[in-house]
Amino acid sequence: METLKGIRLNVGPVHPATHGVLKVVVDIEGDTVNKAQVEMGFLHRGKEKMAEVRYFSNYYPIVDKLDYVSAINMEVLYASLVEKAAGIEIPPRAVYIRTIMAEIQRIMSHLVYIGSIGEDLGNITGMFWALRERELLMDLVEEVSGGRLAPMYMTTGGSFYDLPQHFDEKAEKALVRVETKINKDYNSMFTKNQLFLMRTKGVGVLDRYMVKKYGITGPNMRAAGIDRDLRKSEPYLAYDKVDFDVVTGEDGDANSRFMVRVGEILQSIRIVRQCLRDLPEGPYVTKTPWLMKIPDKRTFVRQETPRGEMAMYMITNGGTQPYRLKIRSPTFFALRALEEILVGVKVADIVVTIASLDPVMGEVDR
Amino acid sequence: MIFNVIYGEVARFVTAGPAWVVTMLITFVLVFAITALVPIFLGWVERKYSARIQSRYGPVYVGPFGLLQNFADIMKLIGKRAISTNVDRLPYEFVPIVLATLSFAMVLIIPFGGANLEFISVPYSLLFLYVFLAVSPLLVLMAGWGENNKYAMLGGFRGVGQIATYELALIVTMISVAFLAGSYNIVDIVNGQSGLWYGAYLPVTLIVFALTGLAIIERAPFDIPEASQELQAGWKVEYSGIRYGLFLIADYVRLMIVSILVVYLFLGGWLGPVLPGFVWFIIKTAAVLLIIMAPRWTLPRPRIDQFIKFGWNWLLPLSIVNLVMVGGLLLI
Repeated sequence: METLKGIRLNVGPVHPATHGVLKVVVDIEGDTVNKAQVEMGFLHRGKEKMAEVRYFSNYYPIVDKLDYVSAINMEVLYASLVEKAAGIEIPPRAVYIRTIMAEIQRIMSHLVYIGSIGEDLGNITGMFWALRERELLMDLVEEVSGGRLAPMYMTTGGSFYDLPQHFDEKAEKALVRVETKINKDYNSMFTKNQLFLMRTKGVGVLDRYMVKKYGITGPNMRAAGIDRDLRKSEPYLAYDKVDFDVVTGEDGDANSRFMVRVGEILQSIRIVRQCLRDLPEGPYVTKTPWLMKIPDKRTFVRQETPRGEMAMYMITNGGTQPYRLKIRSPTFFALRALEEILVGVKVADIVVTIASLDPVMGEVDR
Repeated sequence: MIFNVIYGEVARFVTAGPAWVVTMLITFVLVFAITALVPIFLGWVERKYSARIQSRYGPVYVGPFGLLQNFADIMKLIGKRAISTNVDRLPYEFVPIVLATLSFAMVLIIPFGGANLEFISVPYSLLFLYVFLAVSPLLVLMAGWGENNKYAMLGGFRGVGQIATYELALIVTMISVAFLAGSYNIVDIVNGQSGLWYGAYLPVTLIVFALTGLAIIERAPFDIPEASQELQAGWKVEYSGIRYGLFLIADYVRLMIVSILVVYLFLGGWLGPVLPGFVWFIIKTAAVLLIIMAPRWTLPRPRIDQFIKFGWNWLLPLSIVNLVMVGGLLLI
């Protein structure tokens, strides 16, 4: 039996700072981590199995709770999967509505990230400020769909409802406010705050080599300087018709991961504005039967969600339910890297490193 | 001092022997009331203040402007059942009582806005206050050990490192002020500032004192030993009920003592033109309190190694340089 020098500390699954039910078992000596083991699966609900016993249309409420911080992105992904499998074309207005809502959801998700990293650094005001700005966008989602966290807005062939009247004015109001807050107020709290920089610079470095080794995608990858974004490289929805930049960092540490997300919020605001300007008239949904059969087929769809490249692979066998649905979740791979990057950090940096990877356990454990 | 005033009043009705006892009882009740009311009022101020910073309302329902909210919270803490398993009973019970008693003692000897407005006058009151503030590493370690919890022990270790680092800088800054005044008595120090405030002589010492004071009382953002994110509540994690309430009382009383000390040592205490001394004291203390409350709600917490390095590399050398400068000033 191995003897343990120092203390074995269970961080999670009910630790207040681990963002859900992530458990990290760390061996510490003094205040320094010697070894870290990540345990996942506390929120496993068998979502892939659930898909096999539900009709295609009845799986939308389940994908909502997959990554509950960016539910609309999940809905868009699953809707695209079903449409690709069934060969359904969606009208141009629905494409734009999906792009707008997905980007609004991306801003909301990144705001939650900003708030939670502030909170994990001991700065609760950051959380309040970020949620205050998120609330404006949350109101938009509520007005559009009737739901807030799990909006249930997308459906096969388009969306459940059209955008409400004067939506563009209300959205513009909220976006201007978010933009000014991020460009002005957040400088003093985050981006130019010396204590914040002290705590995040050089913490939890994920360099290009490790990114490739662990298969990390999304903002965590772009923070290491890799210029890859599915919205650019293989455009889906209306992303090839709008103009935006891919934000990349340099160092791959917690600070550049943070800055990449702040930059992505500003880019998403640009995308939403362009889409609202170009929003075409016409139908917002292609009517599809509630109970449909999809022929023997293998379908693969991947999209850029706020947390990285999320993919779904579906095998259908001509029935009303999929034979198998496989979900690739981006933060699952990022969390695997924790075992390497947590070694040698101080206890205080554990929570910052975890928060900077932006895990949502609903999506990791599925 | 207030004790003598009360004794004078009591002695008119009672004979000498019982008069001492009665006076002591009255003083005890008064000091106890102040010690208990400080966290209730300061807690309300802080909750409202932080609510303004965070775009919230803060307490509104209990009492006018939510003034009685903290009273209700203390009542709730008293009523709560204390749950503790596998604790080392002696240090576990000892620490909250001692911390509360220390804050009681600090209220007893500090003047409240006037030369005669202290309960008991002590010749070396500044040194006494320092001792009451700086005894806490021992208590933090005892609590961390006695709770039999890994998080608490980590918090205890951190607390010892942090407070031991900073109390050295604190005593050096206090000594430099005492040198200028030629006395360790707070009343003499304040009276020595009738010409120019010591804060004008020693602006750097003022900042060093405020920072070290915040570090000693573990005030956020320097609440590293009780970091509520990574260590949940650090060395306080196993305490509940009124034991935790005693910690809250000690926290707020020590916060008030530190801001009063900033006013007395550097900002001229109760001295000021036109208005009576007590009003000046209130104005200055309120201003200092609001300034040193703000970082808790606006700054992230530094890491323990960064913070201890900052103490040894910057604050301690700065305060020693200041002490040497004061010595030079006195020689000239």
